Amino acid sequence: MKWTLLAVLAVVALVLSVVLGPAAVPLGELLRSDIVWNLRAPRALLAFLVGGSLGVAGAALQALVRNPLADPFLLGLSGGAGLGAVLAIALHLSGPWALPIAAFIGALAALGLVYRLGLIGGASLDPRILLLGGVAIGAFAAAITTAIVSLADAAELRNAFLWLWGGLSGASWDSVLLVALYAPIPLVVLMAASRPLDLLALGEESATYLGADVERVKRRVYLAASLLTAAAVAVSGVIGFVGLVVPHIARLTWGHRHRSLLPAAFLGGGALLAFADTLARTVVAPRELPVGVVTALIGVPVFALLLRRWTIA
Amino acid sequence: MLRRLLFAVLLVVGCRPSDRPTVRPSRIVSLLPSFTELLFAIGAGDRVVGRTQWCDYPPAALSIPSVGDGLPPNIEAVAARKPDLVVLYNAGPNVTAAKQLERIGIRTVLLDLNRLEDLGPAARTLGRLTGLEQQAESLARAMDSLTSTNLHQPPPTSTVAFIVWDNPPIIIGHGSYLDQLATQAGARNVFGDVTAPSAQVSLETIVARDPQWIAVLSDSAVPPAFAKRREWRAVRAVREGHFLLLPGSLFGRPGPRSGQAIQQLRMRLQRDGVGAQHAAPLHQTSR
Repeated sequence: MKWTLLAVLAVVALVLSVVLGPAAVPLGELLRSDIVWNLRAPRALLAFLVGGSLGVAGAALQALVRNPLADPFLLGLSGGAGLGAVLAIALHLSGPWALPIAAFIGALAALGLVYRLGLIGGASLDPRILLLGGVAIGAFAAAITTAIVSLADAAELRNAFLWLWGGLSGASWDSVLLVALYAPIPLVVLMAASRPLDLLALGEESATYLGADVERVKRRVYLAASLLTAAAVAVSGVIGFVGLVVPHIARLTWGHRHRSLLPAAFLGGGALLAFADTLARTVVAPRELPVGVVTALIGVPVFALLLRRWTIA
Repeated sequence: MLRRLLFAVLLVVGCRPSDRPTVRPSRIVSLLPSFTELLFAIGAGDRVVGRTQWCDYPPAALSIPSVGDGLPPNIEAVAARKPDLVVLYNAGPNVTAAKQLERIGIRTVLLDLNRLEDLGPAARTLGRLTGLEQQAESLARAMDSLTSTNLHQPPPTSTVAFIVWDNPPIIIGHGSYLDQLATQAGARNVFGDVTAPSAQVSLETIVARDPQWIAVLSDSAVPPAFAKRREWRAVRAVREGHFLLLPGSLFGRPGPRSGQAIQQLRMRLQRDGVGAQHAAPLHQTSR
């Protein structure tokens, strides 16, 4: 029942985001319209893939660092991606894909640094240090970014921030294809870690006694979730709240078993982002809202409602 | 004796409170490229002793020391030029800067300059302050005429969208200087219904409104990078390469050269428009 509802929700969100838009496309011409084929359809699919990826990455990271506040961007990735994008503009790297690639590399660099910091105590990856290191590296990257933006001449640099918070405007079949080929790998890695992630919730020691290879799981989960997030940043910038709120909503409804939690977070995140993006494009048309605003406006009340229902029950 | 008396009088005059209009400033710092252009145009260029790094016109302005980017103004760098008048653009951080300058005894003036109709008043104010009322008045009249010819203009023959940034797409709306430039040059801004000076829109809105031209402020001769992105190729003007690349120094700011900017834009629309109309008949799908 829960699954049917979620699947219906996901399909409805996808259909709505193809049917609705600021430009009036008659229903009869829907399948022949250039706007629908080349703009709306790839954007809807990209929203779904990115939202789903963020949902799964958030759920996995929350389990890994055992902190309900964990969010895919908390571990320094948004800071790294921002620095990459600003550097690309400052160094006048041109080309249609310069910014996404630079942001991806920046996110990977932040990921590497945070990972290295996480291993500072020895061979074991310490989730607490991972969390602190992520926040520190993120702040450091943001500071360098701000310094470059305020010192460099080009007024264009300020636009790097626009790009970083830009959402799904850059969606095309190219970016959909890219994510559709890339995301399954970390997604499968995370799904395969479902059982050990369940055990990790009991604490590292207990998980080890119960037969989980804790060190390997931690590394895999951290790397897979971060690689997933880095790709999301590269194609759609930093989109907040999906990776924070969706895993909690999924956990409140599906429980703590990652085997069902992760797919639910994927479908839920995808549906939420596709739906939020439809609203962002249409409610103030011809203008557009930043999609992160809408994800927060929808996600937080739903979350509060569920929280209330489940704490009272 | 007479010389001494004269000197004493001059001294008294020089010591008058700084807000008296009779004291003509001889050391002016201009903190907006448009003000620098206006000051030169009314003949006060030789009194400008400080400018922003963006002030690149007239060429003589380049030999004046820069006080930085002016965003916000560096108070100490401005004060170091020992100005007796600082001209600032009337906006939040500049109001604070003006107060701080006044506190150390430097006279300031905050001027609005967002649209064509602000040019006349700005020129007159600068003329009054510098004592060059006559030159300023004739410039101001020329500036005023830019907007008054609006009434008996033929209907626009071409449509344009100004793209400020590509991801997310940010366009120029009705409340802006560039929108006015387009109107005066005989083009219709397809986002003229957006009241804000600039706004984020969906790419599909740009496709649906189907402008003949994509205008971009750019000093480069090649179309912007987004022209190669697949999603932008859904816009017909992008596909057909109908870009208007407008150099920022001339088109990006209201100033004494606004008339020239309008002329150039009109010429480019007409010259290139013949071929463009042939390739893309004028039909307006936008609402």
